[in-house]
Amino acid sequence: MKTGSKKKGARTGTERAAPRLIALGGGKGGIGKTFLAANLSVALSRLGLEVVAVDADLEGSNLHTCLGVEPPPMSLADFVADREVDVGKLAAATSIPNLRLIAATHANLWSPQPSDEQRVALVGHLRKLPADIVLIDLGAGTHPAVMDYYLSADEGVVVFAPEPTSVENGYSFMRAAFYRGMHRWMSDEPLRDLIAQAMDQHNERGIRTPLDLLRAARALDPAGGRRLEKLVHRLRPRIILNEARSATDIKMGFAIKSVCLKYFGIEADYLGYVNHDDVVRKSVLARKPLVLSHPKSDAAIYVGRIARKLAAGSFRSKAVRPKARSNAPAPTHRKL
Amino acid sequence: MKSILDQNFYELLEVQPDAPTDEIERAYQIAHSTYDTGSLALYSVFEEGDAVVLRERLDTAYRVLSDSASRREYDAAIAAECAEVDLEANGNNGGSVGPLEIELELPLEIEFEAEAEPQIIASSSVELGEFDDFEDDPEDTVYDGDRLRRARLRRELELEHIASITKITPTYLSFLEEDRFDDLPAPVYVRGFVTAYARCVGLDPALVARSYMERFESTAPPKRSRKKNLFARS
Ligand SMILES: Nc1ncnc2c1ncn2[C@@H]1O[C@H](COP(=O)(O)OP(=O)(O)OP(=O)(O)O)[C@@H](O)[C@H]1O
Ligand SMILES: [Mg+2]
Repeated sequence: MKTGSKKKGARTGTERAAPRLIALGGGKGGIGKTFLAANLSVALSRLGLEVVAVDADLEGSNLHTCLGVEPPPMSLADFVADREVDVGKLAAATSIPNLRLIAATHANLWSPQPSDEQRVALVGHLRKLPADIVLIDLGAGTHPAVMDYYLSADEGVVVFAPEPTSVENGYSFMRAAFYRGMHRWMSDEPLRDLIAQAMDQHNERGIRTPLDLLRAARALDPAGGRRLEKLVHRLRPRIILNEARSATDIKMGFAIKSVCLKYFGIEADYLGYVNHDDVVRKSVLARKPLVLSHPKSDAAIYVGRIARKLAAGSFRSKAVRPKARSNAPAPTHRKL
Repeated sequence: MKSILDQNFYELLEVQPDAPTDEIERAYQIAHSTYDTGSLALYSVFEEGDAVVLRERLDTAYRVLSDSASRREYDAAIAAECAEVDLEANGNNGGSVGPLEIELELPLEIEFEAEAEPQIIASSSVELGEFDDFEDDPEDTVYDGDRLRRARLRRELELEHIASITKITPTYLSFLEEDRFDDLPAPVYVRGFVTAYARCVGLDPALVARSYMERFESTAPPKRSRKKNLFARS
């Protein structure tokens, strides 16, 4: 999403390609973002990819819990407090091969969030991590920090649950990403102004929708407007529908994809769905990722499918090859 | 990027310009339920006025494209307009973007293997009480015909849909589900059938094939004859 350019560079001994940054958000709290981030990280690492899971939710950190690992001694909080400037050092090994965790535990209760400069530095550090995939678990809401990570990532995943509250917040999240992204990536001042005005949802220009904005931009400056229309393509949300209970719920993913096209003018991908499954709760209670504790549950199988789709991007680039299956840790390992 | 008012009928229905009639039918049905009043996916995005306009446009698009005569007329009109836009673009180098300019969509890059998801949408609605009873398969689950069928029904897939995806006849598919080993062809084919079936219904193909074939091969009938009339048995 950030640059649209494919990273190159063979992984020959010392050199390796930069990791893919994948941010996972969704606006609404409690819809399974962290559950998915944890289990996708594990599933991806079991496909042979080196994964760093990052808990970016400094105010509600629990990725370590979903992963079933003890809170590491150091966390992003130490980076925010300037006690550790090298984010790479915060990536703690887990009991799961190929998977490391940057936790967000023991955040400062007075001011948990990193400054703007720290956020930029953080993303820069994440890009330099020696890994194939860096998966970032975002907190709920559309806090500027959340949107910053989302827009800086190479790919953004938006989680929906089939209920109006989640749908509403999911679209708010996309709306925030749209306007902030356009504002961030557009260089022409007059158009940036226009975008900033449009972010006020009761703006005087009567810009109500993303397409209104593109139309207004075209009217203001045809060439700049066209540049803006191109920038829109950088946003390509990957949708996951969590807690599906019926075929109607599952179909909603396609409907959201269509709405993205017709409302935002952006192409979205429906990565897949995960059913509502009571074993999810059991696995959280047991502090063990579902894909390890109940690998044959439907939910784990669906998570596995999504992981394979995500992994496809890494396997395709020649720089990264899945490791031989013999390297896989657990005897139960199988291609889901 | 175009507003919904600029989109041509094909773009509106999200189909290719050469889509066959049944696909247009399907696309319209999907769009109809997506943009229906009260659709959850619409919640909080479109304002009611916009949704009404969109629905009307979708209806019109469907009306025009589902009738072969009016569709031909429409195609000719687009072609003419496209040519005009081309001329304009070449004439005054890089003029404004015409409303009918067809943008090339990037192909979806993440297709890893054929998955069953897109078919779900085409399935008719089989109401099923057991839908919520997601099975927690133990380590040594036996994937027999019943288990396959349950997986299929939970996804509300009809045999015919699976047949159209896998190109396996519904008859063989039902034999698979009924464990009618005598009526099924040679193991090498059955393995292929089971694998394709499993993939369609979202089960692990390798696992299912292993389990199913184990039973199939161990209960090898005395003569798994190829001459057997497929419809001979009840
Ligand atoms: N597919 C599922 N089936 C059943 N329960 C689920 C499923 N997904 C998530 N849950 C339950 O929902 C709870 C909340 O999930 P999770 O903590 O991942 O949400 P979140 O979106 O990260 O929330 P927050 O915004 O607060 O960080 C989990 O404890 C889990 O038990
Ligand atoms: Mg969370």
